[in-house]
Amino acid sequence: MFYRTAGQFKTSYQADHALFPVRQDAFLLGVILIFAFVIFPLTASEFTFRALLIPVLIYSLAALGLNILTGYAGQLSLGTGAFMGVGAYACYKLITIFPEMNIVVAIAMSGFFSAAIGVLFGLPSLRIKGFYLAIATLAAQFFLVWLFQKWAWLYNYNASGAIQVPNIEMFGITVAGPRATAITQYYFVLCVVCVITFFAINITRGRIGRMWKAVRDMDIAAELVGINLMRSKLMAFFVSSYVVGIAGALFVFLWRGAAEANLFDIPLSFRVLFIAIIGGLGSILGNFLGAILIVALPVIIGSVPQAFGIPLDSAMVEHLNIMIIGALIIAFLIIEPHGLARFWAMIREKFILWPFPH
Amino acid sequence: MNPRPDPNQLTAPDDGIARGGVLLDVKNVSLSFGGVKAITDISLDVLKGEIRAIIGPNGAGKTSMLNVINGFYTPQEGAIIFRGRERRSMKPHEAVGQGIARTFQNVALFKGMSTLDNIMAGRSVMMKRNIGWQMLWHGPALREEIEHREKVEEIIDFLEIQHIRRTPVGKLPYGLQKRVELGRALAMEPTLLLLDEPMAGMNLEEKEDMSRFIIDVNQQRGTTIALIEHDMGVVMDLSDRVVVLDYGKKIADGPPDEVKNNQDVIDAYLGVPH
Repeated sequence: MFYRTAGQFKTSYQADHALFPVRQDAFLLGVILIFAFVIFPLTASEFTFRALLIPVLIYSLAALGLNILTGYAGQLSLGTGAFMGVGAYACYKLITIFPEMNIVVAIAMSGFFSAAIGVLFGLPSLRIKGFYLAIATLAAQFFLVWLFQKWAWLYNYNASGAIQVPNIEMFGITVAGPRATAITQYYFVLCVVCVITFFAINITRGRIGRMWKAVRDMDIAAELVGINLMRSKLMAFFVSSYVVGIAGALFVFLWRGAAEANLFDIPLSFRVLFIAIIGGLGSILGNFLGAILIVALPVIIGSVPQAFGIPLDSAMVEHLNIMIIGALIIAFLIIEPHGLARFWAMIREKFILWPFPH
Repeated sequence: MNPRPDPNQLTAPDDGIARGGVLLDVKNVSLSFGGVKAITDISLDVLKGEIRAIIGPNGAGKTSMLNVINGFYTPQEGAIIFRGRERRSMKPHEAVGQGIARTFQNVALFKGMSTLDNIMAGRSVMMKRNIGWQMLWHGPALREEIEHREKVEEIIDFLEIQHIRRTPVGKLPYGLQKRVELGRALAMEPTLLLLDEPMAGMNLEEKEDMSRFIIDVNQQRGTTIALIEHDMGVVMDLSDRVVVLDYGKKIADGPPDEVKNNQDVIDAYLGVPH
């Protein structure tokens, strides 16, 4: 009923290549963007920003980066956390060496550092595939975290060994550091995420996206249609690590405010990988759905019983979180192994056909 | 969407070789894997504009021959001269750049992608807009995309697969998958098209369709075709010249009628102790 596509004819290839061939999709996205840009900021509290909205966006971005590599180009990576770390440390160094540098420029540049490191650790992908490649990227994970701890220059020889985000102003407004307000940080992250998501959609639906998917689905055939495997794989590592690095910089500068090396350890990599898998590999939308499930659900589980006056101590909440999230992950993977994005695609299909069964 | 393509507009890229001239010359090629000799001292030529069949019993080295031609294997001995240029070893994607496309014995499509995307992927080499333009999408990248989409739609019309344009190829029946694979190879606008058993596992009707497409490609587009096929009826009807391999050696070469009556060929197919 709401999703009736009948009567929406395409009379040119240009129209067929539009971002939203179905009008209702554009409408739906418009509604979501109005919520994100207007309604949430008007209603949300400081806690909601810091615990829900900002982390969901940042984790979505990190998962998007990983999804480009794993979901589109088919190269499994377990080094996401470390690549986020490279972005964060690079941004920290840029900001402390050039204090007058605009934060947007610093974040955009820090992505290039993680992209370069990503390509370096992506070199084994030219030889090995699948789980073996995952182990090779695991080496990146351990090596880089070790480097963050041992190389004191990276954290400016702080006694604590951690990086502290200073107050950073942009056009007179403090966007990062202890003095920044949650709402500015939220808008900042939201804009970055929107822009990068737009770019990612365009890359993945064009020539380069097709090349990546061809490499993923059958690398031999990809080579025989003239795709240079080396270039496409390394390009996937580059783009993916760039996005992941930006997510890492946002993670520390716009959310945590401070970070130690072990923050970027393997649990972070797995968390991002879970988001990508549960959201749906090879999908852009999936990253957001996955991040909402993995990041937001624990917060909701933690706050809802209190709202109803049920007393729960924090350890109990923590345990409940792990149990419920774990059960949900298993349930989702059994019911819909292709992730939440596929789940949505099926629901949408039903809406289009409704009220007819087929 | 499109009117049926005008056959006169669809011609293979001109390379200065006249119809009937030697397009591909394989000279004394030998290929072995460790101690196993897959191909022993085989020479064969493919003339521009012809349909050339490579036949032989199982394990004769036919697929290895195709793999040598399109750069997948590097022969230990011999030379391959394509469009007048000799080469010893090259990567498959470089062979594509020179105008060699192929299909596989067991379908090698990109299963997660739609028919349209599969065929579009065949044109990846020809699309030049870099990642910066791709990111923005609107403008040059979109214009390029549409330009190639039009070419791809011509192929889709030609192969009569309009109805499965949006279907992921993994869900298609085998016969249609073979057709999509041919479409992907055609999208590369090859000078030389290598078909590895294009009719394996098809029923009679599908074979007739496929034969018609092969002849149309050859005649309308002027594409030179080298094919491997086990259905003798098809081979004898389609091809201009046939080369017969057995145990990695060439045992006969010539027009279908001549090959059909060759005693060595009959022996190879019926089985005579070696």
